[in-house]
Amino acid sequence: MSNTEPVHKTLYPFVAIVGQEALKKSLILNVINPGLSGVLIRGEKGTAKSTAVRALAELLPEIDVVDGDPFQSDPHDPRAMAPEVYARYQAGETLPVRRRKVRVVELPVSATEDRVIGTINLETALKEGRRTIEPGLLAAAHRGILYMDEVNLLDDHVVDVLLDSAAMGVNTIEREGVSLSHPARFTLIGTMNPEEGELRPQLLDRFGLCVHVEGLNDPAQRVEVVKRRADFEDDPEAFAARWADETEKMRTAIATAIVRYPRVQADDAILYAIAERSLKLGVDGHRSDIIMLKAAKALAAWEGREQVTEQDVDGAAALALAHRIRRKPFEDISGSSFS
Amino acid sequence: MTALLIKSEKDDSRNNALGKTAAFSAPARCGYPFSAILAQEEMKLALLLNAVNPAIGGVVVRGEKGTAKSTAARGLRELLPARADGNLPAFVDFPLGATEDMVIGSIDFEGAIRDGAVRFQPGILARAHEGVLYIDEVNLLDDHLVDSILDAAESGENIVEREGQSLRHPARFILVGTMNPEEGELRPQLLDRFGLAVSIVGEHDVALRVELLKRREAFDADPEAFRAAYKEAEGALGQRIADARERLPEVAIARHLLGFIAEICTRNHVAGHRADIVIARAACAFAAWEGRSDVNADDILKVAPMALLHRMRAGVPDMPPPPPPPPPETEAQPEEENQEEQNADTQGEQSPEEAPPEEGLSPPDEDTAAETSLPSDAPPDAPDEGKAAQDAGADDSSDEVQEVGQTFSVRQIRRAVKDQILRTGSGRRSRTRSASKQGRYIKSTARRQGRNDLALDATLRAAAPYQKARRASADAQGQGMAVLVEMDDIREKIRERRIGNFLLFVVDGSGSMGAQRRMVETKAAIMSLLLDAYQKRDKVAMVIFRGRTAEVVLPPTNSVERAARLLADLPIGGRTPLAAGLAEAAGVLRRVLRKEPNIMPLVIVMTDGRANAALGEGVPRDEALRIALALHERFETTQFVVVDTEAPGVVRLELARQLAGVLGASYFKVEDLRAEDLVSIAKEHRA
Repeated sequence: MSNTEPVHKTLYPFVAIVGQEALKKSLILNVINPGLSGVLIRGEKGTAKSTAVRALAELLPEIDVVDGDPFQSDPHDPRAMAPEVYARYQAGETLPVRRRKVRVVELPVSATEDRVIGTINLETALKEGRRTIEPGLLAAAHRGILYMDEVNLLDDHVVDVLLDSAAMGVNTIEREGVSLSHPARFTLIGTMNPEEGELRPQLLDRFGLCVHVEGLNDPAQRVEVVKRRADFEDDPEAFAARWADETEKMRTAIATAIVRYPRVQADDAILYAIAERSLKLGVDGHRSDIIMLKAAKALAAWEGREQVTEQDVDGAAALALAHRIRRKPFEDISGSSFS
Repeated sequence: MTALLIKSEKDDSRNNALGKTAAFSAPARCGYPFSAILAQEEMKLALLLNAVNPAIGGVVVRGEKGTAKSTAARGLRELLPARADGNLPAFVDFPLGATEDMVIGSIDFEGAIRDGAVRFQPGILARAHEGVLYIDEVNLLDDHLVDSILDAAESGENIVEREGQSLRHPARFILVGTMNPEEGELRPQLLDRFGLAVSIVGEHDVALRVELLKRREAFDADPEAFRAAYKEAEGALGQRIADARERLPEVAIARHLLGFIAEICTRNHVAGHRADIVIARAACAFAAWEGRSDVNADDILKVAPMALLHRMRAGVPDMPPPPPPPPPETEAQPEEENQEEQNADTQGEQSPEEAPPEEGLSPPDEDTAAETSLPSDAPPDAPDEGKAAQDAGADDSSDEVQEVGQTFSVRQIRRAVKDQILRTGSGRRSRTRSASKQGRYIKSTARRQGRNDLALDATLRAAAPYQKARRASADAQGQGMAVLVEMDDIREKIRERRIGNFLLFVVDGSGSMGAQRRMVETKAAIMSLLLDAYQKRDKVAMVIFRGRTAEVVLPPTNSVERAARLLADLPIGGRTPLAAGLAEAAGVLRRVLRKEPNIMPLVIVMTDGRANAALGEGVPRDEALRIALALHERFETTQFVVVDTEAPGVVRLELARQLAGVLGASYFKVEDLRAEDLVSIAKEHRA
């Protein structure tokens, strides 16, 4: 499971990313409320997509996990426990707790289905004649972030499996003569370059938010990007240290927003505004409403308010609706009436 | 301890059963209550009817994302009567990655090793017994798995004849499948075997949407409190199901109403008799649900649309015949009955749905047709695209851009062309399978093909029964492995990949294509094929030949969207360098096949065949035919289709037909690609 442990390498600080406000905001909102179920980042190469996602790891809050459990069970919430841990919990055992940062688990394009879902452990099967589970990436990503670079290039059957788990919040390993379900609730973050093919509507819909990133147009900003990047590459640690204060500030702000989120209220006028937007744009289903409300609340929490305003709804709509507008299979997302 | 052990012990430890099963369903224990689902009456009714009588054969829910499909299926489980052991009935979420043995069941591996006995290890079908089997995206599931599941759903038992085991066990479950028709249809044969189908869309009423949003937020904020608030409603629904189940055996359909059902089915050109049976069963269940013991005509009208939706051809509106034919014996009586029922209905809580029978029928053709083929959406947009394209191509004054014509039903198109793909395709597809280790593991085979793709589970199962005996002899030899596998036990994986087709369009862009707006038709045909390609995740490429040369306007790509955009802007004009077009196609084929030798190319040549520009000095048409012949010989695994775009009516030169002959291609006229009429399709089915 070495690939799921955070890489010990200095990352480019999130706060040092120039511009790309929508991208940054969408990621922060997902940290504030993981119920937003992720963000899809569309855009050209070299627009800080991956940098931003990887850098996000630094800002993530800490969570309690059951120590030694490969399924990242929550020691305090039976609903987020793997069967084995749940049995221990039921039996009255005091579960060992470990506190660690929320994880970003990367799913490479070449990932095979069995690595994603989990499979039988070959060694115990052959040596001991027992079937045991070798947990997959979905187990590692439970309560964390599942990051897929080039999500539109993923193998179709891997996408099917992902959708299944993302929809249910449960991953079922039903292979090689083993059967096990464990909770797998994760925030999906995907990046894609639309020129290489679109995503299937189902997968698209699973991403709560969607942002379109472009290269910066302001020459001054572009220069700043190059400067910072050069500084970072010269001495990553010194660069990160220079931004440490900013990073800490943002981390605190996020933590505050997470605490504030449950208190955020939205009155009926806001709810109607949300429903009307969905209807006006002719989106499929009701997920857009639910996501818009959650995003608006997260925005309010982020900005230090406990009441959702029309502006929050505007902000939420910009992030939550673009990819949900019903379109013909070949219509471009960016080409639709909303952007 | 593995999950498997917990599971196999589950049945033995009844006293502790609650804890154990709960462990398995731990993540789902706190679902959204069924009774709190707003609107979507038809879907709820279809589910409830199946709860009353699972023999109806399940429900397939077609429709938009995010419309509470899975929430409803999950909720249903909590309404079902508890099992004999006091546990909640099972809710089995069918994993798309499941293999055949996991569905049907296999040999109990550990038991076999432990004490050398062959015991059955129940599969998904056994686990779903008396519960709900939910298959999300059933149209993406492998056909043979769907077959096994539907078999069990219909017969109520699972028959196991594999791995040296021969047994049957009950498997009565409520089958709920969901699908988004944009992703491709289920094969009609499979679709037909689902009892009911409903098509659902999101709610359009703002107030309802807001209420829905509120409920969802309330649930997310505090699931326990939310469920507590709906406890009573849930209990009432559950009781009603239990009562209806009890009443069901007494419910009967009058003879004349059976005739009425038959009439509905014939009117709608439904092939086979399953629809009749399902309507009868569903009508009985509905009567029982309503607390009656006799079925009336309204019950039938209520359930018939759900039984017909997926059994009719897309786009054909259902016209349920007016009120039931008066029975020959006593004319007045059913009329009266009818009236009574109507009154009862309007008073009952089902009243909001009283209107839908008619409405429930129109969505199918509107929505499903729009989603599968967009025939109704396409035309208003098409002129726009054409206009935009015209602007873009305005600099070349001799060229003309014709808009994309109205696309037509994908299903029909696919029938026409896919049929061809399948015939040679199945063979190729299996070769693709065997050549690579990629793809979904669907089942295992004892026939080894030296692919080094070991199906460990199947191998171990095959070896398991002999372990005791082998171990005895192995111990004598001092070998220490826990499982002794011999050559005969080795099983290899059979995998399936759904990707792997490559569509190369070779399109005539010459001036002659502009006559009688042939290009509009042609573009429509290409677009329809592209839609089909999208659903099958095919790779596409496009070669255009016009003027003096041919050009690869779209190199092989997975982005069907790009192809579609390009299509709109495609100009026509100039002469017809057919030979150049074919030569260019050969180049593309060569490159693609070098990269992916296992891909299955399908070359679709769209031309009127009037070649009038040669590559060399020769006669253009002879040259083209010569190259065509070379193409045919060189790419023997490639399949060719010639679509003749020659205008009908006038004296047809049938040059394209000649070309098809030389290419060994299937030949279609553009208009042949269109849907066949209902009757001929129905006949085909029967044949």
